[in-house]
Amino acid sequence: MIEEALAEKRALVTGATGFLGQALLERLLGDFPETRVVLLVRGRFGQPARARVEELLGRPCFNPLRERVGPDGIAAMLEERIEVLEGDVTGELPPLPDDLDLVFHCAATVSFDPPIDEGFRTNLVGTTGLYEAVAASGARPYLIHTSTAYVAGMTKGIVPEAPLSHRIDWRAETAAALAARARVEEASRRPEMLDHFVARARHEHGRAGPQEVAQDSERRREDWVNRRLVEYGRARAQTMGWPDLYTFTKALGERAAEELRGDLPLAIVRPSIIESALRHPYPGWIEGFKMAEPIILAFGRGAIPEFPGIPEGILDLIPVDYVVNALLAVAATPPEDGVEYYHVSSGSRNPVHYHRVYELVRDYFQKDPLPERDRGFHRVPEWRFPGRRRVERLLRTGEKALDLADRVVTRLPRSDRVRSMVRRVDRERGRLDFIRRYADLYAAYVEAEVIYTDDRSLALHRSLPDEERERFGFDVADIDWRHYLQDVHCPAVTVAMRFPSPRRPDPEVRVRPREQLTLAVFDMEGTILSSNVIESYLWLRFADVPAEEWPDHVASVARQLPSLLGAERRDRGEFLRAFYRRYDGASVEGIARLVEEHVAEMLLQRVAPAAVRRIREHRRAGHRTVLLTGALEPFAEPFRPLFDEVVAAKLMVRDGRYTGYLETPPLVGEARAAWLRGYAEGEGADLKGSYAYADSHTDLPLLRAVGNPVAVNPDVALYRVARKRRWPVEVWKHSSGTPRVMVPERV
Amino acid sequence: MTRPGFVLEVDERTPPLLVHEGEGFRLQRFPMGTRVVYPPDSLPGVRDVDAAIERALLEPHGSEPLPDLLRPGMRLTIAFDDISLPLPPMRSPDVRGRVMEHVLEHAARKGVDDVRLIVANSLHRRMTPSEIKKVVGERIYRSFHPDALTNHDAEDRANLTHIGRTPEGEDVEINRRAAESDLLVYVNINLVAMDGGHKSVPVGLGSYASLRHHHNVHTMLNSTSYMDPGHSALHHSCERMGRLLAEHLSVFTVETTLNNDTFPSPFDFMNKREWEWSARDQATYLAAKKANDAAPGRMRREVFRRIESPYRVTGINAGETEAVHKETLSAVHRQQLVEVDGQADVMVVGLPYISPYNVNSIMNPILAQCLGLGYFFNMYVGRPLVRQGGAMILFHPVPWEFHQVHHPSYVDFFEEVLAETTDPAEIEAKFEEQYATDPWYVHLYRTSYAYHGVHPFYMWYWGAHAMSHLGDVIFVGGDRKAVHRMGFRSASTFADALEMAGETVGTSPRITYLHAPPLALAEVR
Repeated sequence: MIEEALAEKRALVTGATGFLGQALLERLLGDFPETRVVLLVRGRFGQPARARVEELLGRPCFNPLRERVGPDGIAAMLEERIEVLEGDVTGELPPLPDDLDLVFHCAATVSFDPPIDEGFRTNLVGTTGLYEAVAASGARPYLIHTSTAYVAGMTKGIVPEAPLSHRIDWRAETAAALAARARVEEASRRPEMLDHFVARARHEHGRAGPQEVAQDSERRREDWVNRRLVEYGRARAQTMGWPDLYTFTKALGERAAEELRGDLPLAIVRPSIIESALRHPYPGWIEGFKMAEPIILAFGRGAIPEFPGIPEGILDLIPVDYVVNALLAVAATPPEDGVEYYHVSSGSRNPVHYHRVYELVRDYFQKDPLPERDRGFHRVPEWRFPGRRRVERLLRTGEKALDLADRVVTRLPRSDRVRSMVRRVDRERGRLDFIRRYADLYAAYVEAEVIYTDDRSLALHRSLPDEERERFGFDVADIDWRHYLQDVHCPAVTVAMRFPSPRRPDPEVRVRPREQLTLAVFDMEGTILSSNVIESYLWLRFADVPAEEWPDHVASVARQLPSLLGAERRDRGEFLRAFYRRYDGASVEGIARLVEEHVAEMLLQRVAPAAVRRIREHRRAGHRTVLLTGALEPFAEPFRPLFDEVVAAKLMVRDGRYTGYLETPPLVGEARAAWLRGYAEGEGADLKGSYAYADSHTDLPLLRAVGNPVAVNPDVALYRVARKRRWPVEVWKHSSGTPRVMVPERV
Repeated sequence: MTRPGFVLEVDERTPPLLVHEGEGFRLQRFPMGTRVVYPPDSLPGVRDVDAAIERALLEPHGSEPLPDLLRPGMRLTIAFDDISLPLPPMRSPDVRGRVMEHVLEHAARKGVDDVRLIVANSLHRRMTPSEIKKVVGERIYRSFHPDALTNHDAEDRANLTHIGRTPEGEDVEINRRAAESDLLVYVNINLVAMDGGHKSVPVGLGSYASLRHHHNVHTMLNSTSYMDPGHSALHHSCERMGRLLAEHLSVFTVETTLNNDTFPSPFDFMNKREWEWSARDQATYLAAKKANDAAPGRMRREVFRRIESPYRVTGINAGETEAVHKETLSAVHRQQLVEVDGQADVMVVGLPYISPYNVNSIMNPILAQCLGLGYFFNMYVGRPLVRQGGAMILFHPVPWEFHQVHHPSYVDFFEEVLAETTDPAEIEAKFEEQYATDPWYVHLYRTSYAYHGVHPFYMWYWGAHAMSHLGDVIFVGGDRKAVHRMGFRSASTFADALEMAGETVGTSPRITYLHAPPLALAEVR
């Protein structure tokens, strides 16, 4: 029956690169040799539509088919039976052929919570655009519209295979949704909002400089706009009675299809939660992560200690091949009176309860636990289903504890231990965010107490001749859930986790000779030297004045310390300016002599041998080494032989004495990056191949300016950036045994 | 007459014995039958040091009296041993300073104006002003420092003179001022038999180009031992150089020897044999041990750093280098030589807190190695205390610590070179040149207080003879990572160390414990 019905037909398929679409395409190509297919595919990342289709035919879904007909057979199919139309359902559509017999509309947004405009654009504008293009083509095809069972919205009880009862004006909703972005954009640009973004950005990145703050606040604004639009979508959907924007727009899409079909026959097919294939193209075929997979995997990894949901609720799962078969049967059976509705779902005749799914999955993982890298196997958690509110409370407590831990670690002095604490906090944060996201997203699905009847689907199935029932059947009653979940689905989704990849090695610095002039830029204090301008100053004073006066000098610096630290937190440049006033009146020659005789020794005690080794390694590789520091010039002097270029703070001099004022603005934060760019341009150096070493978040612009940034003894903020961008992180320390407090030797 | 050296055989009446272990010490019980080598008791010192100095200068060996060598308008240079001698540093006044006072007085009397004093620090770090002052004394320091009293700079090309080559083709290059002087007076303290003689000038005032002819693996493997100049390739080379120098330059050598009064009160119990400790010594030991163990590391280091030895001078000899050195050596032997019958399977030493290269500094792992496998292993004439293939057990914590100002190239040697190989010959071939000529190390050696870049290599070569001779090296209480880096093993207790050594030497080895310091030189028959 199906075979005859589809023979010699020409079918348009949208969403063919998606999960359902490609399964359908595979069937059409493999089982209906006389059916021709038109694919509406958009080009992506510079890849034209045709190339995408070629690539699509190489995916695992087509493996059994390829084995049967050979690669040449596939190529022939592409040549003879597939026409690729380049176009995007949400945008301008190309003219459609005028001889279409069938239209399978499978394109949809895969996300449950897209920003409102995006959701409407795909699920509604895309749908209306398609059906209008069909009408304009002059063809008179049979429309098969894929929807979802959950278009029924937040409801309880039994949902029949019938038109939705809502009277929402989908055109008005669409217009409002598309307009939302402009409104939100506008709102995000109100001065109060912008000030808020800047304030937050400054709090986090203030020390890195104004450009960094500006970039971050713009990022924050964009994030806010997106989050806001997601909120718009979720709220609108929920006020109208749907759990999320996805189901809401799909529901409106059905109405649009009903209206726009004109007098064309239309079938609306509503699958429930589509999961991996039970039989075809092969058991366990799945592509990408669908709905349950992230949860199943996270559960298997022991990462979800508890999850909301009603244990008695029905989790309406359906294998993808059942949906494809239903679509084919529907395609072979045009409705008699214009529009027909089908549920492809398991809840009515072969329900599997949430608790049962949990048990089967847990059982599966207990028998066959996931390996944990270097730690044997993951422990599978035991859920108690304490109910939504308790899970919510647990989550909130966890989030609060994490916020607190985060505040603590970001204020601790930097060390290896703190950095390992940061890693733990970030890992926990990732876990909690994951649970939070999925708990919110799936609440409606795991708490559903609704049954979608599938009488019409069943009738359709029964109408198939025996042979076709064997090949194309979709009677959900024949699914053995234990077999499906434990032998087919879970093995398929966990296969990639069975062979954990070896730990990705930490990024490493590679010092290589290069063609073009290469720079190796080093920050001084905190990076190559565990000392700071205050210590250098004290040391200098100690070397100069009798020991009895030392306490006075320490006290005087200590008195200034709170205000200095405040300045340092706001802006390093401000701090340096304030502190360097102390050099007012000091003799240039005297300081140079003291540094040579005494301070040099202290600085050399505090230099990290690994830093010196690295500097020399760069020199051996022919790189130009540059010292970039906010410290005063004389203090950089002991290291001059290591560097080709030393850029340090210069104080103004009058009559051989320092004035305490800087000659040029201190080289901190973005000024360093700017200096480096200018220098590289002047010298013809290649910044892409160059290296920069720094320890502080304030040096972010400097690090970003080169192709090989290295975080040395990073503070927490820089450490996070380095980890995210996979920059090498190194710990350079002076040798143990170096006294913590040192005093100059006197003769 | 003081008591001669003595080899004790541990029996049931033997109390636990003192063992040094870095900035600490312990009483360790040794297995029955262990032989313990004690040096002779401290020799009596010269009663009137000034008179002895004067006598030495006026009645020199193989030379005219000093005053006869001095004349107005001449260039006189006085060179003297650096901070590496003696160990621990000598309580003021340092005998070198006193000798120099006398030399300078003679020079003044003879109207010699052009006088320069040079620290013969070779490739060692420069001495700091206060260290120099301590050696030469307040008066000389104030008169000559900084212009006429300087450290030798072995990398100052302009101030080095290539004297020539020995018959063996060894370059002799020394300090230009010394080379161009009409008279070079060298003042030393001859703490051990390795020091002095022709080793003083060619090495102390030499350069890397000159030193590399004898400071190398081949020479060290043929110096058995370098505490026995007659059997030391190192000394043979130095002698050739010294003789060549003597042809070009008139050298007046003044060598001094000290007795074994190593530890001042309250640590003077360390100078005594344990069974002769008085009740007060025992109480002092207990108190010192408890206080030391409880003190934080930095404080402990400071306490030990301040130790100055109350040495007495046992001899002052002046004149022609070789004639003087013969006298000096016999004085050293009188104080340190102990006859030992036969070799042991296991040699035990306790490494003290100080070695020649960490005065006012930190004993890093390489220096601990050098002190044990270099100095203590070589404290023999005749045959090593331990048989070929035997084991050496050393007490030292070997902390992974370095003094960055004094030993910058050591840090890198430890991190880069030893991480790759511990074989002295391979290290020499592959890395020495690079470290010796590295501009940063040269810069630090010249302007800061750093040992020369090549110095850690010499420390490693110093142990080469022991490394090739021994079957096993075990540090008791050593930092595992640091000890392994050097290719040795670490044990937490002496018993464990013996157990481990058993793999090499069997279960009932003959054990010899070299009880030092105070220093003893074993004459093994």
